Amino acid sequence: MIVCVAVVGHQNNPLYIQSFTEADDALKLHHIVHCSLDVVDERVNNPKKSGPTLNETFLGLLYPTENYKVYGYLTNTKVKFILVTTDLDVRDADVRNFFRRFHAAYVDAVSNPFHVPDKKITSRTFAERVSNIVKSFGLSSAG
Amino acid sequence: MTVDPANTSLGRMLLEEISPVVMVLSTPLVEEACLKNGLSFLQMLNPFSSFNNIDVPERTASDQPYRLQKFKLRLYYASDVKQPNLEVGKKKLKEIITQAGEKDLSELCSDAPQISNALVSSESGNPPSWFQCFNKQLVHMVSFSDHEAFDHPVACLLVASSKDEQPINRFVDLFNTNKLPSLLNDGAMDPKILKDFLLVHDNQDGPPDRATKLLAEMRKNPWAPYKSDASPSQHLGCFLNVDDISEKIRVLNQQVSATRKGFRNQIKNLWWRKGKEDVVDSPTGSMYTFSSIESQIRVSGDYAFMLRDYELALSNYRLISTDYKLDKAWKRYAGVQEMTGLTYFLLDQSRKEAEYCLENAFNTYSKLGSSGQQNATRCGLWWIEMLKTRDQYKEAAIVYFRVCGEDPLPSAVMLEQASYCYLLTKPSMLRKYGFHLVLAGDHYKKCDQIKHAIRTYRSAISVLKGTKWNHIKDHVHFHIGQWYASLEMYDVAVKHMLEVLACSHQSKTTQEFFLRDFLQIVQKTGKTFEVMKLQLPVINFSSLTIIFEDNRTYASPSAASTRESLWHSLEEEMIPSFSTARTNWLELQSKLIPKKYRESNVCVAGDIMLFGVSLSSFVVPLAATSFCFGKKTDEWTPDGNKLSEENDNDDNCEKLTTNMDISSDNSLFILSEVDCSLGAGETITVLLTVKPRVEGTLQIVGVRWKLSGSVVGFHNFQSNYVKKNVVKGSRKAKLSPNDNLKFMVIKVYAPLQYFTPPIQPLPEKLYAGTLQQLVLELRNQSEFPVKNLKMKVSHSRFLNIGNRENLTTQFPACLEKERDSGQSGALANSDMSHEVFLFPEDTLIQGEMPFLWPLWLRAAVPGYISLYISIYYEMGDISSVIRYRTLRLHYNLQVLPSLDVYFQISPSPLRLQQFLVRMDVVNRTSTESFHLHQLSSLGNQWEISLLQPPDSIFPLHSLKAGQGLSCFFMLKSCRKLSNSEDTISSISTPLASDVRLVPQGSGDSVYDITRSPLVDFHHCERLQQESSQQGDLNAIDFILISRTLKINADPGFCNAPHLISHHSCHCSVASAAPISWLVEGPGTLHHNFSSFCEVKLKMTIYNSTGATTFVRMKTFNSSSNVGRLTGVNAIQSATPGNQAGWHDVSLVNEIKVASNIPGTQHLIGKCLPVYLVWTKLHQCPT
Repeated sequence: MIVCVAVVGHQNNPLYIQSFTEADDALKLHHIVHCSLDVVDERVNNPKKSGPTLNETFLGLLYPTENYKVYGYLTNTKVKFILVTTDLDVRDADVRNFFRRFHAAYVDAVSNPFHVPDKKITSRTFAERVSNIVKSFGLSSAG
Repeated sequence: MTVDPANTSLGRMLLEEISPVVMVLSTPLVEEACLKNGLSFLQMLNPFSSFNNIDVPERTASDQPYRLQKFKLRLYYASDVKQPNLEVGKKKLKEIITQAGEKDLSELCSDAPQISNALVSSESGNPPSWFQCFNKQLVHMVSFSDHEAFDHPVACLLVASSKDEQPINRFVDLFNTNKLPSLLNDGAMDPKILKDFLLVHDNQDGPPDRATKLLAEMRKNPWAPYKSDASPSQHLGCFLNVDDISEKIRVLNQQVSATRKGFRNQIKNLWWRKGKEDVVDSPTGSMYTFSSIESQIRVSGDYAFMLRDYELALSNYRLISTDYKLDKAWKRYAGVQEMTGLTYFLLDQSRKEAEYCLENAFNTYSKLGSSGQQNATRCGLWWIEMLKTRDQYKEAAIVYFRVCGEDPLPSAVMLEQASYCYLLTKPSMLRKYGFHLVLAGDHYKKCDQIKHAIRTYRSAISVLKGTKWNHIKDHVHFHIGQWYASLEMYDVAVKHMLEVLACSHQSKTTQEFFLRDFLQIVQKTGKTFEVMKLQLPVINFSSLTIIFEDNRTYASPSAASTRESLWHSLEEEMIPSFSTARTNWLELQSKLIPKKYRESNVCVAGDIMLFGVSLSSFVVPLAATSFCFGKKTDEWTPDGNKLSEENDNDDNCEKLTTNMDISSDNSLFILSEVDCSLGAGETITVLLTVKPRVEGTLQIVGVRWKLSGSVVGFHNFQSNYVKKNVVKGSRKAKLSPNDNLKFMVIKVYAPLQYFTPPIQPLPEKLYAGTLQQLVLELRNQSEFPVKNLKMKVSHSRFLNIGNRENLTTQFPACLEKERDSGQSGALANSDMSHEVFLFPEDTLIQGEMPFLWPLWLRAAVPGYISLYISIYYEMGDISSVIRYRTLRLHYNLQVLPSLDVYFQISPSPLRLQQFLVRMDVVNRTSTESFHLHQLSSLGNQWEISLLQPPDSIFPLHSLKAGQGLSCFFMLKSCRKLSNSEDTISSISTPLASDVRLVPQGSGDSVYDITRSPLVDFHHCERLQQESSQQGDLNAIDFILISRTLKINADPGFCNAPHLISHHSCHCSVASAAPISWLVEGPGTLHHNFSSFCEVKLKMTIYNSTGATTFVRMKTFNSSSNVGRLTGVNAIQSATPGNQAGWHDVSLVNEIKVASNIPGTQHLIGKCLPVYLVWTKLHQCPT
């Protein structure tokens, strides 16, 4: 289950953090997302030499914590998407697919002329769309 | 570039920690002797147990010579040679931490550490030094375990004092097995260990002869193979010499080589043992006694390790680890793996192997559960040290994280160390650093190490500073604040708490929680805090508006807050144009005013300046926030203060504790304090006032406010950009914000004083239609007269300026129609509604006499009405800087619906020129009863009369709440048939006629609607209700005059004498057709059809329009056969040959127009009788 998704701006400022758990663990998830930025930085600054991963937006599994797995994605504009999930067995393809859709939603949200770049995303449509994407996570592969 | 592993921190640590142990057994007298110096025997011996400058040749197993240059022995009392108690160990750990915490206390008060500082300090050496102690203690917690041999004593030092009786016997007693540690007794190690004997002699206790003698005796003793030492003197010095130790080492070497020999033999035994298969492994591993081969190998390995013959140690360990693994003796296996890893490390071989071994050991220990926990920790620490040595800080941090057990205290320290590792990682992983610090802080908090918790959290702040991760920031700051408060360091606590106040992103409960805690802490400090950047409530400084009075004076704050453009448009015609006025007086004053103040705004001493600042709270309601401005003045031309103290505070103002000089007599200005409370999510604008009292300059410095009576916030306007909106029409030039806040205070001698409110009695609520008299009351307290008064009212429909005579007359009696007099021609000045009202020329306001002027108020329409009144006046004193001023009044009224009146006019079926008027009145109020008094009509020669006597219409004479009523009136034209020239004149004098709706005897007289102010208001209504039928001659206006029956108890209502008038204008009497006609004739006629029958019918045609109309008449004729009427043109059929139908006979000659030129007859506003003759009645079919 996805517990949290986040959009982090290019100055590492949080633009959107949404948790999908009942529990009151917002602070924890904030910390996890915040920490994962270190790993993102690390990945970005020391890219693996191999060719195909050079321009890869998907950063893969950032780090496993005790209960969570954190995946990252970096857009061309240095906006980071972070996905925190409790699933232990996650297929890379699912995560890639998720990020692709999430990216599309993000692009649509910031294309709104009323959106101020580098400010929090407040669009309700975006939130709905994200929650739909989150709900459908992993379903396509299961079916 | 390789570093000698032994010189790394881990290497040093290993050499120190894994070194031979000497067990010390001493008699009480020995201790006594040593205690003279305040030391235990062990402590006294300790300096002699480490050798830094020795050079001992040694050979490895493969006969490679090497040299030992440093060596260390560890000395322990026999009683300590046992597995340390876990609880005691924990206690020790806690002590270390607590001590460290105390030391850091001073630091806690200082500012939060900067991240760069942290980096530097952690690079220069491992951050807090007590980590080392802590780690060492952790390692010590697992010493003397039975599965490892390096803690097993290699020798035993038996010490007796020369004062002991029979010291030799004492030695025997000392090595009594019951006193020996369990390790030796339960078979974990060989009880036959090397024994050294030591005789302690204190020279104070006598000459050393006795000691020497005893020593000699000891030497003789056959089972005591070795020497004893001469006694140390008071000077703890040099009695243990290098020789002794060399000797010891040699002994050890012998021991080791013996083992080695044994090991050589036992390699064969190993195979042999394998074949035996007789031993069933027990998981406890107790099967491995000292004599077992495995233990022997282990001991051999450990001894080799301690003598730094690492190759040998490694081969031993390797050999044994497979054994243990096969035997599933996991703890021993792990122990051997651990040592293997360390040996690899010290050999600086195969890094991977070393790491693998340590990890393997760590995992194996961890799998053992609680029994292996401590060992796992130790192993982890070795591992971490190794990783650190190799600059693998990130990996080290991960291991630190793994080392964390359930016990919060060590976990906290581990996490903190992990955080420093992240800091040292290249590039630094600051966020992880922060995160682990926060985690560590939480753990510290769990075990009540508040100071450590604060320290870690404070370090974490440095990471978060400047980022937008508010959620985390709030959490950190809030907890630091709370913890400081628990340490009773409230000042710092408040500082941190302030950071969390602007938490609009948090949930409501969190916000409330933050605020409550904050206020509690503030309260505990017991003083009022003055805070520069208090973030609650949020003050929108860009919304700062300043309304000051130069020409303009305001009667109320609401007037001041009204848009300037509104006033401007109102005053446009009244005042001389702004720019000329301004330049005039500035020029006039240019010599008087220093140049630098030229740019300043001008305000008048004694007048009030208003400042609007909008505040908004977050979700949390804020209570009782008081505001005031900070000012500084610079007295410029001092002037005597004669203004009385005036405090503009709002109601329920709390006691002011600020140091504002509000009450001192010689203050240069008066400030107001405003109390306000903000609801959840509310934004309000607070109006603050300042009243300069002397001439000079005044600068607005900032605003200060007090939150909930305890925290004072400041804000300097200079400190940030102020987009100020100076409400000023004339000054368009851009001024810097600072200039805008500077004011030049001038003295004006004639401020017009007014009573508050100057207009009385002004009700807040009115019923629609209420007409009331008000009095404007002004007075001037200065000696200079005020003249040239002008006044302008924004809604002339509501407010009408009366005449001076109205003051003396009684309202509403003055409106009553005098019975004898005719109609008064005092009709309204139709243009006055949009005009400036000029008070009579001779009006001068001077002295104590108040100036009164009547005003008429009529609540024209229901709703909320804002009335704006501006009064212009000029100073009598010509030299005054300000030539004219305006007084602006603003009132709000609420007008409630009262009566709804509808009129319907229909032509009377009986008579031409007569109309029936139906009036429907509905009482719209819920409580009020109305007394209908009269209905007046105003129109072109219409006279209204009642159809029924008033008693029959309303027996109660009043209309109760919610009731409706209809009554009928007759409208008669009283106009004489006149020619067209007259009609023009009749337009200008509408005729008023009144109908009393009350019985004759009731004493009320009829009101004259043609008198002012009724007529004035009526005029306004007419303009308001303008319709397309304007100028229609047949239009008629109705005015219903009523009164409320009882006195209204509602405080908003004013119970002054009043009338209620309802105006319904432009009711057209004309029906749809402009031409109306009426046919008159006999109702029945008897005729025998013997002769030509002639019936005289009279038709009256009335043209109600003003224009000439062409009229054509058609008659309907009936066909006898079908029984249908056939339409015949009356005029066409009026030929002599036609037998039946309409026949226009006798009067044809009289009205020629009817027959001869039928289409062109002109009917202008009068009746034309046309006589027609019915020629034949058709036969009824029988």
